[in-house]
Amino acid sequence: MGETEEMLEYLDIDEIDELFIDVPETVRTDLKLPEGKSEMETVRSVRKVLNENRALDEKACFLGAGIYDHYVPAVVFEIIGRSEFYTSYTPYQAEVSQGMLQALFEYQSLVCELTGMEAANTSMYDHPTALAEAVLMAGRIGKRRRSKFLLPKNIHRDKEQVLKNYLRGTDISLVEVAYDEVKGTIDREDFKEKIDDETLGFYVESPNFFGVLEEDMQFFADMKEDTKAVSVAGIHPLALTLMEPPSSWSADIAVGDSQPLGIPPSFGGTTVGIFACSGRKIRRMPGRMIGETEDMDGNKAYCMTLQTREQHIRRERATSNICTNQALMALASAVHCFALGGKGLEDIARENYEKAHEVARKIDQISGFKAPMFEGEFFNEFTVELPGDIHDELNKDKNILPGLAIGGDTERFSELEPTLLTAVTEKCSEEDIDRLIDFLKEVGE
Amino acid sequence: MSEYRQARYPRHLLIEEHSKERMVEENPLPESIARKEAPLIPDVPEYEVARHFTRLSQMNYGIDTGFYPLGSCTMKYNPKYTEMLAKEPKATGVHPLQPEEDIQGCLRIMYELQRMLAEIGGMSEVTLQPAAGAQGEMTGLAIVHEYHKNNGNDRTEVVLPDTAHGTNPATAAMLGYKTIEIPSDDGCVDLKALEEAVGEDTAAFMLTNPNTLGIFEEDVLEIADIVHDAGALLYYDGANLNAIMGKSNPGAMNFDIMHFNLHKTFSSPHGGGGPGSGPVGVCEKLRSYLPVPIVTKKNDRYHLDHSLENTIGRVKGFYGNWSVLLRTYAYLVYQGKEGLEKSAERAVLNSNYLRKLLEDHLELPYRSLRKHEFVLSGKRLKDKGLKTVDLAKRLADHGYHAPTIYFPLIVEEALMIEPTETERKETLDNFADTVKKILDEDPEIVKSAPHNTAVKRVDETKAAKKPVVSFRMRGR
Repeated sequence: MGETEEMLEYLDIDEIDELFIDVPETVRTDLKLPEGKSEMETVRSVRKVLNENRALDEKACFLGAGIYDHYVPAVVFEIIGRSEFYTSYTPYQAEVSQGMLQALFEYQSLVCELTGMEAANTSMYDHPTALAEAVLMAGRIGKRRRSKFLLPKNIHRDKEQVLKNYLRGTDISLVEVAYDEVKGTIDREDFKEKIDDETLGFYVESPNFFGVLEEDMQFFADMKEDTKAVSVAGIHPLALTLMEPPSSWSADIAVGDSQPLGIPPSFGGTTVGIFACSGRKIRRMPGRMIGETEDMDGNKAYCMTLQTREQHIRRERATSNICTNQALMALASAVHCFALGGKGLEDIARENYEKAHEVARKIDQISGFKAPMFEGEFFNEFTVELPGDIHDELNKDKNILPGLAIGGDTERFSELEPTLLTAVTEKCSEEDIDRLIDFLKEVGE
Repeated sequence: MSEYRQARYPRHLLIEEHSKERMVEENPLPESIARKEAPLIPDVPEYEVARHFTRLSQMNYGIDTGFYPLGSCTMKYNPKYTEMLAKEPKATGVHPLQPEEDIQGCLRIMYELQRMLAEIGGMSEVTLQPAAGAQGEMTGLAIVHEYHKNNGNDRTEVVLPDTAHGTNPATAAMLGYKTIEIPSDDGCVDLKALEEAVGEDTAAFMLTNPNTLGIFEEDVLEIADIVHDAGALLYYDGANLNAIMGKSNPGAMNFDIMHFNLHKTFSSPHGGGGPGSGPVGVCEKLRSYLPVPIVTKKNDRYHLDHSLENTIGRVKGFYGNWSVLLRTYAYLVYQGKEGLEKSAERAVLNSNYLRKLLEDHLELPYRSLRKHEFVLSGKRLKDKGLKTVDLAKRLADHGYHAPTIYFPLIVEEALMIEPTETERKETLDNFADTVKKILDEDPEIVKSAPHNTAVKRVDETKAAKKPVVSFRMRGR
């Protein structure tokens, strides 16, 4: 007798379907799916479909706009590939989960070192959802009866759409702040005009969608001080090794995406939403946090903490509905940071900066092109003014991705002339750069 | 019944051991924003980093370590071919903004996955964008919100049973809905209470079937009628879908909207808390409300289609947790029709078998026939001065992960057990024997458990009293 038969016998039934007698005939259905395959056939057939992709390694890639093609050391994949980590559940049972708990505590610590904030959670889904949660948190920690939130126009437009869905249940309204048409930074006059004593909070992103860095953070610190609005900073974790952190201008919340740290582009998912804030606001934060404590013998231990903010305990009064997050990817970012080290990360950031500026200079020398189009300082991504509407030609060389088309007839920033948004990472070789320049010369003629 | 020993290493953080404060030299940025003091990140040899995290992994329990009967979480074995495929350069090295002709492989996988999930859920169309179950719920309720708005009525309430997952009321509240919780009758939705609760203010009723007690709601079609007659929509929480694949589906039960948990039902790993994926399926009348883009197919080419008329817009950047979608696709190709049906059957068989092994030793409230999971009450433990949590912690000493405890809230000292289909009879027998043995044990040993894990019972109260959630917060 096989074990299925033994189990059926123990349950005193003849066949498995007797366990489904409570599913009424009126709701019974059949599955119309293909037959299964062996593992060998499955791998073969899925690979065949994947081969219909053209991967970045086959191309010179200058595409960014939120996802960046950085090199990830092999050790990152080895560690997150350990099945003790990746096959574990959320570490509610602290005693058996000390490894993941400590690793995530170290991730939180790294986020705090980079941002200068005191507290971080173990992740949101990505940058847009982290921003949305930050605005909701602003609603909890901001001045009462304020509902206006200033959202600059120079951010990825997808973020605004995500935000609008998250704000459906609130009375928070978004007020758009223009960008400086020359520099690409926030238009400070417009910002000043729109911020007032009714303003719940504001968002400042640096680098912003155009790759441009804000250069006068004191302005935002003063605005915050004057109006008591909640300030939310959008950050780039690699750039932060060279940039003053949001704590330096006393931002209340910092959000970003740690994809540039140890996570391949992966078609845009899975990344990690960074979420950090000052220590005093910790009880109003969304998401899971790992805290330090002791076991009953007084040994150092870690556990999920302040769980009474969360949905499984607080239900409709939770600070957020988030449950499953991006924990394993947070681990990838932590391993990446440690593997490269503080100095190593800083060197890569510097290399990104220098290469990007070199590429911008070279493009600027091509007749008809201007780079950077927005003149503000940038990190590793910048805008290029094109010699007329050549958007349709930008993808004609299969071996090169020159960047993202914006402005012109595209749906992104249609108020701009046809423009190119170009990102440069340490992976772009001199040969790639020469190819890009030759290509732009050719299509620009 | 082997005793289990977890590794125990001295605890230190890489940051505290090796970091020196350092200034940033030769900063190319303008003075006003150039960082002066470098972030405190150590520079240690890679082999030390590998050792540090390998040791941490040895202090962590995963499905590959042992049995994980965590109710409502569907901790089934994560097949290794999906991991292998997810690491292929053609899967990881693709940028979401590449031209469509470059990403036909990704789009085809997403398209076929949309179709397969629609079939499994009995839905008309599916979005793969939501990053997790809770975000699926948020997407679903945003659709509910937009739908009622378009029909010119502002409905303000979401009704749920008292057995609902915590994410349900949390999501409803996040979208500004007032939540109305209705009591259960004998472990199922009380139709009378439902009838009284729904009305012209009701936007939706959220339900999972089988419910969180593992009981199939036999009156589901009547429930659907009551909800629809009130002009409300019926939402299916997909956390418990593993029990019914091939037997029934939410569409056949007249649900309007549902989410799937790919990291539960379809075997993608939980990753210590994520990433997951929470695609949302809708019936035909709600198709035009889905987030964009969805993937469509025309002349054998696949496209990112932004043209849905009533779309709620985006809920996440780009197209969802692609690497999880890919794993699920591979899993479905492998399983096929029969594989999924067999999974549901074996999950339910395992659950009922284990339920019968345990029901005389711990109390089983409500009826006995369960689906993929069952809930026991540990209130008898009180006689020995014990609580459910003590039993849960003691199980770790024997190499088992704890069941879900203290949920659902309507069962006193609840233990929620979901064995899944990827366990053999011997494991279930051994687990049941262990539970019985613990019930007969010296209560002091149980109360002070676990003993064999990396640390002993962790003081969670202390952690919450004066929270330290980063090295920086220690006050160096």
